[in-house]
Amino acid sequence: MDVVLNQAFAGLSMASILLIIALGLAIIYGTMGVINLAHGEFVMLGAYTTWALQNHAGLGVVTALPLVFVAVAAVGWIIEKVIVQRLYTRPLDTILATWGIGIILQQAVRLGVGAESRFVRGPQWLSGNIEIGALVMSNYRIFVISFSLAILVVTWLLMTRTEFGMKLRAVIQNRGISECYGIEAKKVYSVTFAYGAGLAGIAGALITPLFSTIPTMGTGLVVDAFLVVIVGGLGSLMGTAAAALLIGEVTAIFSIVINDTLGRIAVLAGIILLIRFRPRGLFPSDIRR
Amino acid sequence: MQSRLLYDIIGLALFAGVILFGVPALFGYDGFELNTFSRYLSLAIVSMALALSWGTAGLLNLGQAATFGMGSYAMAMHLKLKASGDNLPDFMSWNNVEALPLIWAPFHSLTFTLLAGLLIPAAVGGLIAIFMFRARIAGVFVAVITLAFLVAFQLVVIEQQGLTGGQNGLTGLAPLVLFGWSVDIYSLSFYYLVGACLMIALVFGLYLTHSKFGLILRAIREDSERTRYFGYNVANYQTIIFSISAGLAGWAGMLYALVLEFASPTYMSVSFSLAIVIWCAVGGRESVLAAAVGAILVNLAEGRLSDVFVEGWHLLLGVLFLMVVMFMPRGIYGVIVDAGRAMRRKPVSKKEAQPFETSLNPKRES
Repeated sequence: MDVVLNQAFAGLSMASILLIIALGLAIIYGTMGVINLAHGEFVMLGAYTTWALQNHAGLGVVTALPLVFVAVAAVGWIIEKVIVQRLYTRPLDTILATWGIGIILQQAVRLGVGAESRFVRGPQWLSGNIEIGALVMSNYRIFVISFSLAILVVTWLLMTRTEFGMKLRAVIQNRGISECYGIEAKKVYSVTFAYGAGLAGIAGALITPLFSTIPTMGTGLVVDAFLVVIVGGLGSLMGTAAAALLIGEVTAIFSIVINDTLGRIAVLAGIILLIRFRPRGLFPSDIRR
Repeated sequence: MQSRLLYDIIGLALFAGVILFGVPALFGYDGFELNTFSRYLSLAIVSMALALSWGTAGLLNLGQAATFGMGSYAMAMHLKLKASGDNLPDFMSWNNVEALPLIWAPFHSLTFTLLAGLLIPAAVGGLIAIFMFRARIAGVFVAVITLAFLVAFQLVVIEQQGLTGGQNGLTGLAPLVLFGWSVDIYSLSFYYLVGACLMIALVFGLYLTHSKFGLILRAIREDSERTRYFGYNVANYQTIIFSISAGLAGWAGMLYALVLEFASPTYMSVSFSLAIVIWCAVGGRESVLAAAVGAILVNLAEGRLSDVFVEGWHLLLGVLFLMVVMFMPRGIYGVIVDAGRAMRRKPVSKKEAQPFETSLNPKRES
């Protein structure tokens, strides 16, 4: 039972990281119909930015978060302006183009920083554990979980309570008509892409104390995050959150009930079945398209 | 249509001439170079197989490497059994496997192996296709399902160490004996064997794309809904082409395992699968011939350039690929077709060349 509880907690912290990555992916996909395969590389960039900030400026992981967000969002903004913007009429080609961007970013980091893994220290003030009975919860993981919930709330507020969010939702529903009302869809797209990239950067910063930082770290994460988006249903924030929780927990629990590999295989099989029978995801939004 | 067939036949003849006579002469019949080129040729088959399903029918299969891997393992299992003689294959005893597993037994037979390397991938591809296309899954979701299948399949292969050799794959293979001819992979005759396989695959692919079957597939690619209203069973057509494409990929896998003398789970990695997509896109996905040329060119460039720029090669590949997607969406083939059209006709004004389209609401996958 103790093992199950601890594993469930580990699953929860994994789910919260997945949630932040998937939120960015879901916003980009929901808004522009772009499947951003470079998203994992944005996570990797975030991790390396954190490492650089800690090594050269002496900033802790938590203090570095806003800077990392801005830096990766800027990279995303440039990529959107230069490349992605030209491909909005060819959605399948964006998969290929963003994958090419991913290769370029990954290799650029490998050439610039080196292929060996880098380590980032977790913050001192979050180093302890909270123990409830046999359940051991590290403070840092609790911080990650609460931070991801905060990001979910902020994103939700941004989408529903601000003028930008209203414009964004208008563009998602009908780009042509929104433009007639004077909304600059191009600008909305750029900002959305940058925001999504920035979220990925934050996720990258948050996982640095938990994983080692290597140039290929994003590749596995983007597949998982992408599956979360599909399972959650397009354009639905709460669906994405629920799906992240579901996939994180199911993977964690399966990995003790059966074993790691078979657990992952079972999750993948489940996802294939889900797409087959509910292609709009578990929690589709009722936006008219 | 007739003239396009003529151009394709001329193209194929030129290609065959270069591959069968030009390349061996150029490299002075050097065994090592011929072996490297046979590798490119086997990869050309898997690239043209993807062009059949992706370019012709619009089904982006990101799991092409899975069926490719099945073919390579089928061949490697046969050769491993031959290398082991009466004993168990060495990796099995390391994994405490007592007796030869049941699914290995039939691979003693060469006939069974050759059929299995072609038919098992085709059957698996067919099953996935039935599963997807009966539910009218299309566009991005085809890519996601095939990608998830690929990842799961690779995990299974690595997990089942006693059956597949796990992460190491199958190594230490015996040479293939084909009708009493012991295949030397550094010989000219082996090069011609691979070349002949590629030519047969290309002729078959060209026949398919120029037949009525190919025409219906293109119709499905353009508008599957309308094709369905014309009374065609879209799912059946998609299933057949998907299965053919998977079978060809398996065939290419068999040759690849022969060339490299081992089979490894890296053949089924996501990056390998996406590399196939790159070759196909660079050459031009609408034409099987162009896709094959694309595979050979990219691999040739990789072989030459990675010697010069050891570190930066992948960066170059990424930039090249990005440029192709952005500025040459139809690949080299598209550039040649457009150039040919421009030479034959007076330049058409931009307005007329664009098909009529309402630009208010750009169509997108949902």
